[in-house]
Amino acid sequence: MIKRMAMVLVVLSMLIIPMAVFANGQQDDGVITIGAAMSSFADKGQTYLQDGVRAFDAEYDDVEVLMTDAKDDPAVQLNQVETLLTKGVDAILIVPVDISALKPVFAKCKEDGVKLVIANRMPAEEFHDDFDVYTGSESIQAGLLQAEWVAEAMQPEGGKVGILMGPLGHEAAMMRTEGNKQIFDKYDNIEIVMDAEGKWDRAKGMQIAENWIQSGAGLNAIVCNNDEMAIGTLLAAEGANLADEDIIIAGIDATPDALEFLGEGLDVTVFQNMNAQGYNGAAACYKLVKGEMVEKWDWIPFELVTTENMDEYK
Amino acid sequence: MAQQKIISRPSLGAFMNKYGIVVIFIGLCVILSIVSPAFLSIRNITNVIRQVSIIGIVSMGVTFCIITTGIDLSSGSMIALISVVVASMSQNAVSDSQPISIVMPILFAILISLALGAILGTINGSLTAFGKIPPFIATLGMMTAAKGAAALYTQGRPVGNLKDAFTFIGTGSFIGIPIPIWIYIVMAVLSHILLSKTKFGRHVFAIGGNEQAARICGINVEKTLVKVYAYAGFLTAVSAIMLTARTSAGNPTYGLAYELDAIASTVIGGTSLSGGIGSIPFCVIGALIIGVLNNGMDLLGVNAYWQQIVKGFIIVIAVLIDARKQKRK
Amino acid sequence: MSNENVLEMRNVHKSFPGVKALKGVDLTIKKGSVHALMGENGAGKSTLMKILYGIFHPEEGEVIFKGQPYSVKSPIDAINRGISMIPQEISPCPNLTVASNVFLGKEITANGVKLLNQKQMVKETQALFDDLGIDIDPSVMMSEISIANAQLVAIATAVSYNADLVIMDEPTSALTEKEIDKLYDIIRDLRDKKKIAVVYISHKLDEIFTICDEVSVLRDGEYIGSDSIENFDKDRLISMMVGRTMDEFFHKEEAVIGDVLLEVKDMSLSRKFKNVSFQLKQGEVLGVAGLMGAGRTEVMEALFGYRPADSGEIFIKGEKVEIKEPIDAIKHGIAFVTEDRKLTGIFPELSIKDNMIMPDIENYLKGGLLDSKKIKENCQTQREAIAIKTPTLEQLIKNLSGGNQQKVLISRWLLTTPEILILDEPTRGIDVGAKSEIHRLIGELAKMGKSIIMISSEMPEILSMSDRIMVMHEGKCSGEISRKDATQEKILALATGEQL
Repeated sequence: MIKRMAMVLVVLSMLIIPMAVFANGQQDDGVITIGAAMSSFADKGQTYLQDGVRAFDAEYDDVEVLMTDAKDDPAVQLNQVETLLTKGVDAILIVPVDISALKPVFAKCKEDGVKLVIANRMPAEEFHDDFDVYTGSESIQAGLLQAEWVAEAMQPEGGKVGILMGPLGHEAAMMRTEGNKQIFDKYDNIEIVMDAEGKWDRAKGMQIAENWIQSGAGLNAIVCNNDEMAIGTLLAAEGANLADEDIIIAGIDATPDALEFLGEGLDVTVFQNMNAQGYNGAAACYKLVKGEMVEKWDWIPFELVTTENMDEYK
Repeated sequence: MAQQKIISRPSLGAFMNKYGIVVIFIGLCVILSIVSPAFLSIRNITNVIRQVSIIGIVSMGVTFCIITTGIDLSSGSMIALISVVVASMSQNAVSDSQPISIVMPILFAILISLALGAILGTINGSLTAFGKIPPFIATLGMMTAAKGAAALYTQGRPVGNLKDAFTFIGTGSFIGIPIPIWIYIVMAVLSHILLSKTKFGRHVFAIGGNEQAARICGINVEKTLVKVYAYAGFLTAVSAIMLTARTSAGNPTYGLAYELDAIASTVIGGTSLSGGIGSIPFCVIGALIIGVLNNGMDLLGVNAYWQQIVKGFIIVIAVLIDARKQKRK
Repeated sequence: MSNENVLEMRNVHKSFPGVKALKGVDLTIKKGSVHALMGENGAGKSTLMKILYGIFHPEEGEVIFKGQPYSVKSPIDAINRGISMIPQEISPCPNLTVASNVFLGKEITANGVKLLNQKQMVKETQALFDDLGIDIDPSVMMSEISIANAQLVAIATAVSYNADLVIMDEPTSALTEKEIDKLYDIIRDLRDKKKIAVVYISHKLDEIFTICDEVSVLRDGEYIGSDSIENFDKDRLISMMVGRTMDEFFHKEEAVIGDVLLEVKDMSLSRKFKNVSFQLKQGEVLGVAGLMGAGRTEVMEALFGYRPADSGEIFIKGEKVEIKEPIDAIKHGIAFVTEDRKLTGIFPELSIKDNMIMPDIENYLKGGLLDSKKIKENCQTQREAIAIKTPTLEQLIKNLSGGNQQKVLISRWLLTTPEILILDEPTRGIDVGAKSEIHRLIGELAKMGKSIIMISSEMPEILSMSDRIMVMHEGKCSGEISRKDATQEKILALATGEQL
C-alpha cells in the first residue's frame, strides 16, 4: 500500500514539477508580471482575446504574463486570482467568468495594492470605483448594431423574427438579445415570434432552426447571439432547401468560420475586436504599473461585417 | 404437492407496465399533431429522427453500460474529442492555424476515429473491470480528461473546411432518407441483435442481474465489462462523426451534457438503474420521446425556460414509473 | 374473547393480483405460548404474519390483539402495539456496531441534543444480552460477528421492543445445533418468565416438536386446523400440511458405484480450510456434513474455481487438472448448485429459459446468434423431466416459488451434462413436496452414473441420501463414515471435533 502511494506521489510530482518550474520562471526585478485570469481557454472567442494578451507579451521584453484558465467556473477563477497574487504579480488582467462574483477579487487586489484591469465583460455600476481600467465593448451595442441591419434589410415588408440566444443568464446573451429587442420594438411591421436557447452551440442552434423552419411559422429572419448558432441556422436552412434570399441570418463575433459563410447564407455578423481587448488590457496593466496615465474606459467599438467589407476581417 | 396458482392472465396493469412508455410516446405525438399541424409532415418526422439519431446512438451504448449496473458519463466529452480528431483528418487542405491537421482519405479518418472511440471505451472498461473503480468515477475521469484533450488538440478552436464527401455523412440522403437516419437504424439493429440474440448480450444481462451468479456460470465478468464499454465508446465515435459531418466542423465545445441526455433517454426507455433490465427498442423510444418533445416545443415556440422545466418533469416521471415497478416486486 | 388469548384472527382474506393468498384464515394464540405455524411454501404463513406486522392489509376479517381490535399500517405501528417480527432473511447494517443495530430507529440521544449516546446504547444492549444469556460484545461492528450471532442479535432486537407477541420466521436456518439450543432457551425464557407469546414458523419438524406448545396448519391459503402439540405426530402433521400421507424422506436406492472419478489432495485456503483431501466415485453420493462455518462451502467453491485454493491438487479420472476459474470446472464436467439461490444462483430479471442456458450458451449458437428453437427444445425437455411448475418458460424466474427456482437451477447445470454435480444445501428453504422431488432426482442421477457431492445441514437428509459421508470441522476433514455405519450421533460427534 505504502509502495503504491509512493508510486502515485512520484508520478504526480513528475507531472507537476515541470509545470511549476515553467509557470514560476520569472521573479526578477525590472520585469513587470501580469496575472491574466482568463475565463476559459475552450471558448473560441476568448482565445482571440488571449492571443491579444500573448501578442503584447511577445512584443515587450520586460513583461511576463502568467495566464490561467478558469474553465468558466467563478470559484476556480477566484482561487486562481489568489494564487496569482500570492506569486506576487504586479497587475491582474481579468476576464470575469461571472460579473456578479467579483467582490472578493476587488478586495484582494486592493489589499495587495495590485492594479486591476477588467476586460471583455463589464461589472455592474456599483463596482465601477473598484477597478482601474475597463477595456471592452458593450454587449448591448452588438445586439443593436446587428438588429438595425436586419430590420433595415427587412423593409419595406417587415416580417417575423426568431432569436437564438446564448445560455440563459449569460451577460452577453442577455444584453445582445436585449439590444435586438430594443430595435425590433421600434418597427411596427416586425414581430419577434420565436426565441430559444441555443447555448452558443452549432448543433443545438441547427436543431432549433430546423424545427422553426418546419413549424411553418414563416420566419423571415433568424437573429443569433453568436456565429456558431448562425452557422447551424444556415446549415438548417440549406437542409430545408431555403434559398439565401428566403431568410436573413445574422450572427455575432465574425469568427473565421463565419466569414467563410458570409454571402453564402449568412447575411451579416458583428465583429468584436477580442484581440484588441486582450492587447489593450495587457497594455493598460503595463502602463498602470509603470505609473503612466491611462483612460479608465477603453471602449473598443463593434464593427458590422457584411459581404461588402468582409475582406478586411479575413 | 397441492395445485399452485399460476398468474398469467394479461391485465391492463401488466400491459401498461411493459408498454406504458410506448403509449406515452404515441399520446405525445397525437397531442402535438393536433396543436401543431406542421408536426405530422413527413419532412418534420425525418427531421425529428435525424435530430434524435446523435443522442440516440450514444444512448444505446449507455443502455449496455446501465444494464451491467454501470454508467457512462464520458460520452459527451468523447464526442468533443473525436469530433475534432475526425475533423482534423477530413479537411480539404492542411490548415496552418491548427496544431494538428492531416489530409487523408476519409475512410481512414473514419476508421481511426471509430478505433479511438473503442480505445477510450476500453480504458473506461478496464478501469472499471480490472481497476475495480466504480464506473461512475472511471468515466467521470475520462469525461474530464477527454474534454481537456479536445481543447488541447485544437487550442480551443473549431476545425472547419471539411471535405464534401465527409459532410455527406451528415447532410446527404439515400433513397430520400437522410444518411444519419440510416446509420441510426443500422446501429439500432446491430445493438439489438448484440443485446438480445448473442452470447455477449446474455452475459451483459447476467452480470447486471447477478454478478456473483454470473461468475459461477463461468462468465468472464471482466472481459465482458471491457467489451461493453468499448462498444459504448465505438457508438459514441459513430455519433461524433455524424455530428461533425452534420455541422461541417469539429469543435471541442461539442457534446456538452450529451451524456446526461443519453442517460435520460435510456432511463425513459425503461432501463433500470439497478441493472439487469433494458432493451434497445425501448431505448430508441426513449430517445424519440426527448426528440419529439424538443421538436414540439420548438414548433410551438415554447419559452426557453419552460422547455427545460418540461424536460426535467418528463425524466423524473419516467424514473418514478420505474421506481413504482421496482416497488411492486 | 377469553383472557388467555393474546391474539385472535378471524376469517382473514387477502388477495394479490391473480391469486388469493388467504381465504378466510383463523388463528388463535394463547398468552405465553409458543405457537407453530405450519404449511408448505405458498400456504400463506408469511402473508398472514405480514398482515400482523403491518406490511399487508387484509381485505376482510377481524383481528383482536390483547382484547382490542387491531389494525396497523406499518411495522412501526405494529411494534408500538406490541408485535415484533424477526424476518426470515435478516438484513443488519454491517457498518454499524451491534448496539447501533439493536437501537436502529430508536437511538438514544444525549439530553436535548440530537447526538447519539453510544455509551448508553452499548450499556443497555449489554443488559439486554445478559438478560437473554447472549454472549456478544455490543460494541463490535455487525460485520465482524457471524451470521448465527447476527440472528441472535435480531432476536434480541425484537424482544427489546417489549413486545407481547414475537413472530419468528425460520429463525434457525442459519444456526448450528448448539446455537439452536441457545435459541430454545431464549424462547422458553420469553414464554415462562415474560409471558410473551411466540409464533414460530419452521420447516423443520424436529424443532416444532421440541419447542412448540401448539400448532396451526395452513394449506393453500386456507385454515386446516390447530391443536396442542401432544396430539400430533410427524405423520399427522405432514399429512395435514400436504393433504396426503407420505414418507418424510425419500431414501436413495443403492446404486452401482464405480471407480474413483474425482480426487482432491491436500487442498488449502488460508483461514478457510486446510489440507482437505477426498475422493468421489462414479455414481456415488458423497454427503458433506458439518456445522455452519466448518468450511464445507468454501472447499466446494475452491474445487469449482470460484474462490481458488492456495494449494492442493485436483485429479479427474486420474489426470491432474488446473481449475483457476469456474469456466475450467465447467469444461471438466463439474456443475455447482450453490447454497444461496438469491446471492449466487438466479438471475431474477431473466426468464427461466435464459437462466437455464447461461453456463453453456456456446452450445446454443448458430452462426454466432442464439438458436431459439434449440433453446426451447432443450429447456422444454428438461422442464418436463423434473416437473417445473410454470405456465411458460418465458416467465421470469423471480416469479417462481423457491422449490421451482431450485429446480430451474438444477436444470441449468444438468443441461451442461456434468459428470460431477455439487449440490450445496439443495433443499434449504423449500417446501416438503419439492424437497422430496429433489431427493428423488438426486437418486435417479446417481443411478444414471453421475457423481454427486451434497452439502447438507439437515441430518435426516444426509443420512438418507448419502452413500458415504464426509464430516468437516473447523476447516478440516474430521472423518468419513460409510452409509451403513452412519448415525446421527457419530456425525454430530465428528462435526463438533470429537473423535469416534
